[in-house]
Amino acid sequence: MSQSSEPILQIKDIAKIYPGEGKSTTVLDHLSFDVYKEFLCIVGPSGCGKSTLLRIIDGLDTPTSGQVLFHGQPITSPSPKIGVIFQTFALIPWKTVLGNVLMAISSTPVSKEEQLKIAQKYIQDVGLEGFESSYPKELSGGMKQRVGIARALALQPEVLLMDEPFSSLDALTAENLRREVLDIWRDPAYPTGSVIMVTHNVQEAVEMADRVVVLSARPAKIVDDVKIDLERPRNPRDPVLYDLADRIISKIS
Amino acid sequence: MPRPSLRKRLIASSARKSSASLMRILGGIAIVVVSLLAIDAYINGALDTVTSNTLTPSIPYFAFRTLTRMTIAYAFALAFALAYGIATAMSHRASHVLLPLLDIFQSVPVLGVVPVVFLIILGTGGGTPPPEFNQEVASIILIFTAMAWAPTFGVIAGINAIPTDIKEAAHAYGMHGTRYLRQIVLPAVFPELVWSSILAWGGGWYLIPVEEHLSFGSAPNLTQVDLPGIGKYIAVAAVNADLASALFGLIVLVGIIFAIDRLVWKPLGVRAEKYKYETIAAPRTTATRQSNVAAGVKRYEDRLVSPVLTFFKSERSYAARVLEITRLRRLRQLTERLRFPERITRIPLWGRLLSYAIFVGLVLLGLIVTIVSRSQSIASGVSLLATDVTGFELVAITFLSVSRLVIAYAVALSWTLGAGILIARSQRLSRLLVPIFDIGQSIPATALFPLVVILLVDPFKNSPLLGFTLNLASVLLILTGMQWYLLFNIVGAVNSVPNDLLEATAAYRIRGGRFVKEILIPASFPAILIGSIQAWGGGWNALIVSEYIGPNANVPGLGSFLVQATSKDPALATVEIYASLLVMTATVLIINRLVWRRLLRKADRYKFEA
Repeated sequence: MSQSSEPILQIKDIAKIYPGEGKSTTVLDHLSFDVYKEFLCIVGPSGCGKSTLLRIIDGLDTPTSGQVLFHGQPITSPSPKIGVIFQTFALIPWKTVLGNVLMAISSTPVSKEEQLKIAQKYIQDVGLEGFESSYPKELSGGMKQRVGIARALALQPEVLLMDEPFSSLDALTAENLRREVLDIWRDPAYPTGSVIMVTHNVQEAVEMADRVVVLSARPAKIVDDVKIDLERPRNPRDPVLYDLADRIISKIS
Repeated sequence: MPRPSLRKRLIASSARKSSASLMRILGGIAIVVVSLLAIDAYINGALDTVTSNTLTPSIPYFAFRTLTRMTIAYAFALAFALAYGIATAMSHRASHVLLPLLDIFQSVPVLGVVPVVFLIILGTGGGTPPPEFNQEVASIILIFTAMAWAPTFGVIAGINAIPTDIKEAAHAYGMHGTRYLRQIVLPAVFPELVWSSILAWGGGWYLIPVEEHLSFGSAPNLTQVDLPGIGKYIAVAAVNADLASALFGLIVLVGIIFAIDRLVWKPLGVRAEKYKYETIAAPRTTATRQSNVAAGVKRYEDRLVSPVLTFFKSERSYAARVLEITRLRRLRQLTERLRFPERITRIPLWGRLLSYAIFVGLVLLGLIVTIVSRSQSIASGVSLLATDVTGFELVAITFLSVSRLVIAYAVALSWTLGAGILIARSQRLSRLLVPIFDIGQSIPATALFPLVVILLVDPFKNSPLLGFTLNLASVLLILTGMQWYLLFNIVGAVNSVPNDLLEATAAYRIRGGRFVKEILIPASFPAILIGSIQAWGGGWNALIVSEYIGPNANVPGLGSFLVQATSKDPALATVEIYASLLVMTATVLIINRLVWRRLLRKADRYKFEA
């Protein structure tokens, strides 16, 4: 993972200000950083605007100033090369598992049969084989998030954005899913190079990331940018991780 | 790098918005002036007509009488709702009978009950009008039947919405009996009661233009109801083909409805919010966009139009708030009604049979009371029935009525679906249209009947087109009774599509027609169903008045059959009135079972998880 190469995403001087009656609220205070082929975590206290930043990167929200460049081109609307995973899964209740995954790739210029094949492959890859015709309501939280992951992967995106993907899950399920996401990402068969994950769980961030961007409380500024060069798979009880986590927590609070 | 273009766009749009509101007010004034002039030119001396109407000076007294009547009926409805609702929600065993019975009761078209109540309370006039007290009692009973059901459902929904942990905590701290009722149940029920009371009053207003002034049967068995009230004013104006007075009465009626809405329901609604359990997350607050330029424009503008603007702004925000709250309330009632079919299937057979038996028993009791009080023979009535109408004819007119309802429903569904989606997707359209629809909804459909008669029926009296215009008028009137239920349910549903889902569809680039087809319409499916059921209820009511406009202006159908029955031989009339009421209720129940229940069961899939 050399960082001397061209950045995939460039976040340039992004600010988000909500003008209100009398005084305006600054949420993001001119943030800039580059994203390479890496697993990047954005951590910060609740309500600091992490999710807003992620939405701006995907083109779901517009910044008040600044821009996001994807291979040098500004992003203004959602791109088919970027997949998103939501904290609340965001599955459509009246579509089956297969229907939910197909939805993501239905606007790609691929034939219907091909789309079906792709969808089925990724449903298998996340371990949901046999659940293709189940409805989200019939699935557990962990399985729902697997559908969310399959949906994002089916796009075969270059960049994967994850908004607190494990926060709605119980601790055991989250632990398993974290490992699986890392395995999938490290598998050379997958085209996804960059992952940007937003989380408020510092332990989770240091365990998973190559690099952690630390944001302050509102208005959010970058207060630290931590590189983590540890071997994978990592041992969650590694004292080095605890030290890193302590360092990050002290920056936030 | 700052993006000046975006900033500029924002400023421009805010400035545009401010000047747009100014333009809108000027435009509104212009429209009012022009239309007043047009009305004045069209109907020469409309004001003269109104002032020369001998009933006009009594309007304040009429308003007072109408209001008193409504208030008394509402007090009874409230007491009924609390008793019935608490009994149903608190006792599992009682609910086995009370729930299906409530379902049957609310399926009876209110206007269909009118002749029955009149038969029982007023008896045959025998030429002399019945005492005013009896008339008053009859009219209060009628208003009660229109008001009672929504608050009852509200009470049940409110009690069922008490979170389990609160219930457990109350029991853990030894709260039982009346203390539990006072400190847990009543506060929980309060918000639901407020919002369903608004619906109840709407149902009551619906009857006002109909039941204050009507005659019934023909000489020598003519029964005349003539109670002082706004409804009478409108009805008399319609009989005299006095469009100006009818419109004036309508304006007064809407004015009263609006005044009550603002003076009573608005403050109560604000208080009700306090008692709400947070089961649905508050909607995301959207930051208001403003800039210095906009503020400058506003300050300048304020000096001129501030009072007017504030009024409209508060009206707009009130309308939006009502929409927001009705949305939440509808969600609650929606889940309540969605649970309804499940519950009904879980209700043991004995409960269902008993509830049907109670209903039929009540109808028979009414029949016996009528017959005894009028000393008629049921046998002669039944034998006359056989000679008057065949079973086939009864089926045929039922079919005609149902097809009118289907046509009106199709029209209502298509326009409200379009409008609902537009409103929900565009903030600007929503701000513009919601207050208009709010006013439209507050006009009781029955109050529009005289206008339709004057415009669509009277001019065609001797034309071969009369058959067509009568059917058109009938469908139009049914439409006015149906459309608002659909519209407000759809708008609420489209507004409550969860934000994360909208973001996901945007992230995966599902837009335009696909977005409407794959996301919006399925998402509003449960609400469309609920709206449809309410709309059909409203439609059945409208049907009864819409099919029979006058002796020479009626179309064959169940509604006109019912109205015409009243002028037949007394014994036959009694039997036919009860027969048509039973046929109507049975048709409603069958349609509910065959269509709505089935679809409701499917609707479960389209619900969002809490």
